[in-house]
Amino acid sequence: MATAERSVVLPGETIDPSLIPSDPKKALRLGPGLRHIPPTDIVPTVAGQLVTNPVKNSMWIEYNSNRYIPSQNDIVLAQVLRSATDFYLCSLSPHTAPATLPHLAFESATKKTRPILSPGQLVYARVALANRHMDPELECVSASTGKADGLGPITGPGCAFDVSLGFARRLLMARSREDGGVGVLEMLGGEEGGGLAFETAVGRNGKVWVGSESARTVVLVGRALQETDRRGLGIEGQRRLVKKLVKEMR
Amino acid sequence: MTATTAPEAALGVLPRSDGSAKYSHAGYTVTASVNGPIEAQRRDEHAYEAHVDVVVRPAAGVGGTRERHLESLLQSSLSQLILVKNFPRSLIQIVLQVEDSPENDYVNTKLVQASLNLAIMPALVQTAVLALLSAGVPMRATATATAIAIARQDGAQRIIVDPSPREIETGRSVHVLAFTSHGGLLLAESEGDFTVREWDEVYETARAICCRSAPAKDGMAMLLDDEATGGPDMRHFLRSTMESKVVADLHWK
Repeated sequence: MATAERSVVLPGETIDPSLIPSDPKKALRLGPGLRHIPPTDIVPTVAGQLVTNPVKNSMWIEYNSNRYIPSQNDIVLAQVLRSATDFYLCSLSPHTAPATLPHLAFESATKKTRPILSPGQLVYARVALANRHMDPELECVSASTGKADGLGPITGPGCAFDVSLGFARRLLMARSREDGGVGVLEMLGGEEGGGLAFETAVGRNGKVWVGSESARTVVLVGRALQETDRRGLGIEGQRRLVKKLVKEMR
Repeated sequence: MTATTAPEAALGVLPRSDGSAKYSHAGYTVTASVNGPIEAQRRDEHAYEAHVDVVVRPAAGVGGTRERHLESLLQSSLSQLILVKNFPRSLIQIVLQVEDSPENDYVNTKLVQASLNLAIMPALVQTAVLALLSAGVPMRATATATAIAIARQDGAQRIIVDPSPREIETGRSVHVLAFTSHGGLLLAESEGDFTVREWDEVYETARAICCRSAPAKDGMAMLLDDEATGGPDMRHFLRSTMESKVVADLHWK
């Protein structure tokens, strides 16, 4: 994925210019945790590990936290608070300003046919607009194609669990086992977990919805995820945890 | 407790808050929790920047005027560090609970109400900065702080780093200085009689403690170095604490 050099930075420290990728053609892209002070300074704003990707000519700070700050194109798990005239008000994290989800931001929604969401319901959505001066805006439809792409209201029996933001990011990685070191879901569905049947929806805001017909499975998967996160388990630790939980549940 | 004890810190001690830290040094133990950015109350809301709310809770009883004064000092210093412009109309809440403070063997502390307790400031600043780092709140820089007293002993001037309550009482003046990681002076509070020359001396000593650059030595050599300059290396301490936190967070990499 990226160059593996462990360099820990603190807010306000100067970054060694040799670490900054310099591609003559592409513009340098700054990710989370960095800010650019014109004309030339790039300064970290959080404590974490500096990661650079010379191929994409990008750099960011890898860190873990608990408070979600919305940013555009993040996939989040939101909870509907109430409905207003033409949008729903949704909560992304506790004690923050609610995000708006327009009634028409669903697949093939018109004024007459739109999904009716009740307060408390969960929605899997994308952050369409994140601006520090405005409340965030969500959408459940791709603006270019008009397709839902897996987004929308979450139905069926299940439960949402809180995890740290770093863990949610690892779960959302395309190759979460190789790049993120999380194999706990595969194990629960595979032979270690005895082939449990469940589905998940991971939000970048540190919420994971686990759905299954059996309440036992929901609790087991949720506990496995939370313990993996809190105790910082590696692949081998996760395998042991899954075996233990499955044994306890029998 | 003596002034030579090394500072200790633990991060993420409160699982339900966004960030937390427990810090103990020179007889003071403080636990801090940081929540934010969260929605501010209407009266605290500011159109262009985040409101930084600092709450200091004493080890026993409820806070009074003394705590309000400490809060106002901390509030103005920490607002300089946090990138408040990034989060308009929001609130960053910092709660500092004093758990332990050194006893003055000569007086009953319960009866002494009036005076300002400046010596606790460095512990409060350090804990707040650690908790903010633990919460991942975007900041301009980090900060380190120290307390220094000037005492007259056998007719000669003596500078005491991290003074005990008894030393503050018998000394002539006490100073608290905080520096940002860029080396700028963030906070300077003084109490007592002192000359400009004495203050300059205090400033140099505090700067040596707070802003020592790049510790090349480690282990025994550093311990000896500490004794030579009369104080721990706060910046190195902050960095090593954060390094271990980051490594623990990114164990999967």
